[in-house]
Amino acid sequence: MDVTPRYLGAGSALSRRDPRVLLLVPVLYLVAVAGVEDLRAMLACAVLAVAYYRAAGIPWRDVRANWAFMLAFTTILVVVNSIITSADSRSDPSAEVLFTVPVTASPITWATLSYSATLFVRYVTLAMIGFPVAFNIAPSDLGVAFARLGLSQRLAYGVDLTFRFLPSTWASLHETLDAQRVRGYEHGRSRNPVKRLLRLRPVVVPLTVNALIDAEDTVNAMDLRGFGGRHRTWMRELSFDRTDLLTLGGFAVVAAAMVVAKFLGLTGAVWVP
Amino acid sequence: MTADAPVSREPVFAISTRTVVFGAVGAALYAVLGLFSFLIPGTQSVAVRPAFALVPFFGKQFGVIAGFFTGLVGNMVIDLLQGSGLTYWNWSVANGLVGALAGLIFAYLPPIANEAVRLVAVAIGSLVATALGMLFVITDIWVQGIDFNTFLTINYLPALVANGIAVVILTPALEAIWEPLAKRTGR
Repeated sequence: MDVTPRYLGAGSALSRRDPRVLLLVPVLYLVAVAGVEDLRAMLACAVLAVAYYRAAGIPWRDVRANWAFMLAFTTILVVVNSIITSADSRSDPSAEVLFTVPVTASPITWATLSYSATLFVRYVTLAMIGFPVAFNIAPSDLGVAFARLGLSQRLAYGVDLTFRFLPSTWASLHETLDAQRVRGYEHGRSRNPVKRLLRLRPVVVPLTVNALIDAEDTVNAMDLRGFGGRHRTWMRELSFDRTDLLTLGGFAVVAAAMVVAKFLGLTGAVWVP
Repeated sequence: MTADAPVSREPVFAISTRTVVFGAVGAALYAVLGLFSFLIPGTQSVAVRPAFALVPFFGKQFGVIAGFFTGLVGNMVIDLLQGSGLTYWNWSVANGLVGALAGLIFAYLPPIANEAVRLVAVAIGSLVATALGMLFVITDIWVQGIDFNTFLTINYLPALVANGIAVVILTPALEAIWEPLAKRTGR
């Protein structure tokens, strides 16, 4: 298992963008698609999401496992919640029932299917917009990006520090697991969640305690170097260029248009073909 | 075992070097251990994460900011590693709020001398922080476009049960080991 973020889109159009663009675009896209129940409007947003994802240049072979998981999970989610159980569904009582789901007796109409498709497209396109955050921002840029977005300089450095701790924490986890196995530790195969949690105690507790003891050294080292004493500067200089502003502006216009459409009631109703 | 106050004597919302480092350590631990999780079928992204117990633990031991940072950044890093990006940002905020609320609850809880009672108080306090903090996922009504019943029955309650079991079992276990160590070494 890989515990360090993978930077996969090197050289692509999105990787050349200021990392703040990649953090802000998902927010704007979320504003645009939140509450949209009309499949046609959702598909129009999907065109934008596909174009954005293609600009990320993420190699398919490196993320096919992520996509397989995402698509399988989303399909199960939508089918179970919106079709089989109707827990999150829309239907018109006067509409013709196409069929009834066995066991749960949920009536399926065109509105049910249209709403389910809308949800599916929404989740998949949100993933398309979200993947570049995971794969097109260099981990070393996240701290400075958050700092330039207004987060406290100390906490922004904490984000950098978190990524630096990941490899050592992962190594420490393996060391702890090996040490406990030598002492007879076995994780077991119980499906009972309480038993599974109890069996994790011999791993979680020493790993945490060791990490905390080591952290004291880091605190002392940073204090000795005067961390937080003055305004922090960063090696990486960030500035929006014309393409960054156009990208952000484009998504902002789409988000604003979709919000207006929602208020006018143009996208809030399920589309029935 | 005579006191239950957080080890740190700094103001509740102070951002010191300790806060930053322990928050980052907590987030890294949460991110690494949080990769070991399993999904509850029929729910919207609800996973049982044993590592969730670390969130209220860091809130209690290192304060509101470190607790918030552990939950927020730890959950964000898990999402980044799994490739979700920041799609479920509101769940990360909810995780952060659990840590912050645990920090607040235990900062104002009077000292408890008896160890058994203290550990029970840790379990209850962590559970309350989890129940309140996870309420933030009500924002899924606007973010994901779900209705209140879906939020309650498919998102909130399964998450509360899954995370509740983790904090009730593992947070007192961490507390029982760390508190004497912290006192002995003056941390």
